Amino acid sequence: MRNRPLGIFVAFVCSAALGFSSTVSSQSKPPSANAKSSAATSAPAWAYDLSGVWYDDHPRPNSVTERFWIYKFRPEEPPMTAWGQAKFDAAKSSFGSHPYPLKDTNDPVYNSCAPPGFPRVYLHPFPMQIVQTPSQVIILFEYDSMRHQIYTDGRPHDTALGPLWNGDSIGHWEGDTLVADTVNFNDKTWLDRMGHPHSDQLHVIERIRRVDHDHLAVDFTFEDAKAFTKPWTARLEFQMYPKWTVQEYFCEDQTTFQDMENNEVKPLK
Amino acid sequence: MKLYRWGAAIAFVMVFRFSPAASAQTKPPAEASKAATSFDPHDLSGVWFDDHPRPMTVMQRYWAYKFTEGEPPMTAWGQAQFDAAKPSFGPHAFPLAETNDPVYHTCTPLGFPRIFLYPLPFQIAQTPGEVILLFEYDSHRHQIYTDGRAHDTSLGPLWMGDSVGHWEGDTLVADTVNFNDKTWLDRTGHPHSVSLHVVERIRRVDHDHLVDDLTIEDPKAYTKPWTAHLPFILKSNWTIAEAFCEDEQSFEAIDDKAAAPAKK
Repeated sequence: MRNRPLGIFVAFVCSAALGFSSTVSSQSKPPSANAKSSAATSAPAWAYDLSGVWYDDHPRPNSVTERFWIYKFRPEEPPMTAWGQAKFDAAKSSFGSHPYPLKDTNDPVYNSCAPPGFPRVYLHPFPMQIVQTPSQVIILFEYDSMRHQIYTDGRPHDTALGPLWNGDSIGHWEGDTLVADTVNFNDKTWLDRMGHPHSDQLHVIERIRRVDHDHLAVDFTFEDAKAFTKPWTARLEFQMYPKWTVQEYFCEDQTTFQDMENNEVKPLK
Repeated sequence: MKLYRWGAAIAFVMVFRFSPAASAQTKPPAEASKAATSFDPHDLSGVWFDDHPRPMTVMQRYWAYKFTEGEPPMTAWGQAQFDAAKPSFGPHAFPLAETNDPVYHTCTPLGFPRIFLYPLPFQIAQTPGEVILLFEYDSHRHQIYTDGRAHDTSLGPLWMGDSVGHWEGDTLVADTVNFNDKTWLDRTGHPHSVSLHVVERIRRVDHDHLVDDLTIEDPKAYTKPWTAHLPFILKSNWTIAEAFCEDEQSFEAIDDKAAAPAKK
């Protein structure tokens, strides 16, 4: 998250809506607001362009534990089933209101550098870069190089794929909102950094919208009949940082964990 | 080799992942008109996959584990590092249980340029200021900034290095420095130091073919710069999937066995 005073980069990012490469087809742009809504005016071009580097935009309260967005999706507990509650009770997270020391945590990311997966990666306090191509909206997270590839070319979910750390994501535009639908998760990740669980039946819907030129909001709906008694929602907010780039951040560089494990990362069990 | 079968299986699945809202690219052009299909040489986007000919034996496919058929010109230091390596690939391969390849027991990142040697595709995405290579394997990202910025000397040493690029006519010239020394240069244990400097000349030679000519320079490891040529073919109806090292069952089995040795 280093600040780079690069005027040229600012210009490029801000002009991304206008300066796309010549291969942009009509599929890259969602239907204009006129086609869908009865609004008298259509949304500006930037409303359909999510490109740029975005970072958490929550107010900074006094204490770290109040900053729920760096370890869970919302302040309130999700409505867990008995199975879900049991998994949560067994989690020894290093974050939240009842954290364990790092050497005692059973968080798979901190024990063995397992991928944080989706949607957990949203909660790691590092920026993300959104890149749009004619057939995809790709979110590149700085943390652990995670990738959230949302295919917007009309394809259905790919049922041939085995269960995935990041799920299988497809999306479509509803006016100026990108609606992404993700299924086909494996069960090797925590939903968040506190140990809230999910099963392989997790289904995540994101409604991603650029609320104004410099701000992005993601409204989540989480659904998992095995882990939660009903779907529940959460919202994360982001601000554009036109001078930032996403850098490299690999779990293996976190020397705390290396020291903990005698300079060696344990293989995933 | 499990990785090969796995990689081939992934490749097989991907062949059938058609994009329903197909552009003109879904059907490869007929052989006769291949060279004539128009394309923008400054547009490198798409999913690309190794395009070497397939010889008879796996061992002949050097490009699946190293950059050149012959040995690179190593210094004494480089040769010592190479001799100490116990790779699981190549003509002097060790069993997985004995390899000291950092990737296979601890799933550390492959880094750059080793990531090119995995038999899995990559996708190129372009923005006004970057050319980004997204590798299927282990979510690696090679971000080449083309907006005129200089190398960022404030960054610590990186697994993928720090890459800046510019166009020389139809060729994207990418320059990468600032590597850490935690990776092998390839899958057979050839070394590099933090002084590694990689120059790529990337060019879309026709609609369906891309080449990346690498120049590898590292005065600590190699007596002189040396080059490698990587050809790629466009896979217009492929997408890149997810492929994490942690899913490779063979490594889990080996480490479980090592953790609980048999008492026979």
